[in-house]
Amino acid sequence: MAKAPPKRPNRDSVTTINDDGSRFFLHPADAHGPWVIARRVAAVLLIAIYVSLPWIQIGGQPAVFLDFINRRFHLFGLTFGAGDIWLTFFLITGLAFFLFFTTALFGRLWCGWACPQTVFLEHVFRRVERWIEGDAPQRKRLDAAPWSPEKAFKRVLKHGIFIVFAGLIAHVFLAYFVSIPQLYEWVRASPLDQARAFGFILIATGILYFNFVWFREQLCIVICPYGRLQSALIDEHTINVAYDERRGEPRGKMGTEGAGDCIDCNRCVQVCPTGIDIRQGLQLECVACTACIDACDEIMEKVKRPRGLIRYASEETLAGRKTRYVRARTVIYMVFLLLGLTVMTLAFSSLQPFESNISRMPGRPSYVTDDHIRNQFLIRLGNKRGEPARFHVEALSMPAGMRLVGWETSVELGPYAEESRPLILQQERAHYTGPVPVTIRVRTEDGRGVRERTLEFLGPDPRVFAP
Amino acid sequence: MKSDSPDKPEPGSPHPHAGRDDIPPGAVLREHVYDGIEEYDQRLPNWWLWTLYITIIFSFGYWFLFFTSRALPTDSERVAAEIQRIEALRFEQMGTVDAETLWQMSRNDTILAQGARVYSVNCAVCHGANLEGGIGQALNDGEWRWGHDPMDIHSVVDLGSPDPMAGMQAWGRQLGPRQVAAVVAYVLSHNDPGNMFTAADSPGRASER
Ligand code: SF4
Ligand code: SF4
Repeated sequence: MAKAPPKRPNRDSVTTINDDGSRFFLHPADAHGPWVIARRVAAVLLIAIYVSLPWIQIGGQPAVFLDFINRRFHLFGLTFGAGDIWLTFFLITGLAFFLFFTTALFGRLWCGWACPQTVFLEHVFRRVERWIEGDAPQRKRLDAAPWSPEKAFKRVLKHGIFIVFAGLIAHVFLAYFVSIPQLYEWVRASPLDQARAFGFILIATGILYFNFVWFREQLCIVICPYGRLQSALIDEHTINVAYDERRGEPRGKMGTEGAGDCIDCNRCVQVCPTGIDIRQGLQLECVACTACIDACDEIMEKVKRPRGLIRYASEETLAGRKTRYVRARTVIYMVFLLLGLTVMTLAFSSLQPFESNISRMPGRPSYVTDDHIRNQFLIRLGNKRGEPARFHVEALSMPAGMRLVGWETSVELGPYAEESRPLILQQERAHYTGPVPVTIRVRTEDGRGVRERTLEFLGPDPRVFAP
Repeated sequence: MKSDSPDKPEPGSPHPHAGRDDIPPGAVLREHVYDGIEEYDQRLPNWWLWTLYITIIFSFGYWFLFFTSRALPTDSERVAAEIQRIEALRFEQMGTVDAETLWQMSRNDTILAQGARVYSVNCAVCHGANLEGGIGQALNDGEWRWGHDPMDIHSVVDLGSPDPMAGMQAWGRQLGPRQVAAVVAYVLSHNDPGNMFTAADSPGRASER
């Protein structure tokens, strides 16, 4: 099917994919206005946060440092060990319900304002492209133009800067996992000595570069699972970027008899980074970037009509009814969110500054001597803090004649140190009446952490000893 | 989408949906209808198809490299090779310890410091902070149940007591050859080389098990 430029968006196919499966590359026009400015401010703040998190030190560790190599995860002053991994369940479900909740209320706020894909694409890479290759019509002309020194220069410059930025983002990303000092050391080392890290950076840079130079909105339209969930998360009360059809239609040029407010200037279509026409209603491609709001407001200003023909509004508002914020789905999401938050707060407050694990020593479950029954364990202690800590191990609820051997004195562990030591329970045969549970309590001397664990003291059937 | 029954495409007709005014000209519908819901037959994005083709090509390469030509080792082969490497290293280091070396090590302060640390963490619980014995045997009286040659003592630490009822586990697995040698040296340093003897009721030598 021959394409008459400009391509008209429709609701039956994706604008950015041609009928033969090839890509239709968009050149969205610039939008100007308060929303674009607000979003740019938000983006600059977010980038500052992304970049500074590995640098900020809280309690002697970076604010975010996911140290997979040592299986320690530092988050805003809290340190998690591998044994605390179950807490991520609350973190992830909490984030998910928070996202569901905001989506039910305000649609894809995340996509338009906070998603790294949008933040970096709209506010870094497209800005560079705009600066080097000019506005939308100029970019289209440059695309179509034959190769010339000028085109070559612009292309080399653009791709060069894109690769540099992609590389920077890859480094920041890696810093989250290895910390800045380690990263700096690797950066200064020869790529041959640090082949793994270098390979990672190379691949990550390549993927980011490909994403931002070519793939772009395809990620949001085809790949992103959050985008796919929209139809299940929103309803007619959800506030989205929407076109006021009752006011705008029938569209017509200025001065047309009986026409609505839309002058069919097509500005909203030209600025859209996903290539849709918002006047055809809410569509899954829309990332709620607000570009079309600013674009249309600018036009309305010019033709002296009230702003807001395209605005943040729910379908209910547009139909002349009231938007309800309290609805079954928002309440349910909120209940889940609060429930999760409560459980998470409780769980996090039980977070211990150390890890401890008790296992039986290889060998027999119990040893019988002339006058004792003995169970041998290994206790593994891990200090999760950046300072030395002293540990006391004691047994509670011990039956008569039983003794905990090996822990008469406390033990000191250096910062982030791990150590296993034997832990032995021994009972006099005269007092032995059969297997019995014993609770072991591990506590730090400064009283910051306590953990308890019940062990089963095992032994032969006591009748064996019967006189 | 309308719910009236769609016409079956007739073979040879110029366009299967000619006459349908609710779909754009040229569009093609899939044959199935569910509760009146129909589906366009759009081409997949080429980039998407390419990811599919590349995974197919990759699978052939993978199959060839790992399972046909065996040019590259599979994961389990790599794990097995790594275990062999570690064991070889262990045997190599084992080979270098003998009675003579252990006595020499027992006079080296650096090794003794290391051995003392290993002892206090792992051994003191049963054998006493000063090797005086407790749950386990005394280690400073020159009397050795499983033979008094340093290699006998080494064997008990490394592989555990030959008597499974004794409770002395095989520490070699946990400590590794270097720490085992260091702790044996530390124990020897608390004994007089001239006064080492095997217990009268010894069941046999540990290094000859
Ligand atoms: S329709 Fe408007 S809000 Fe949605 S992606 Fe396009 S320009 Fe952005
Ligand atoms: S920018 Fe506003 S006036 Fe222009 S076509 Fe879009 S909705 Fe109509």
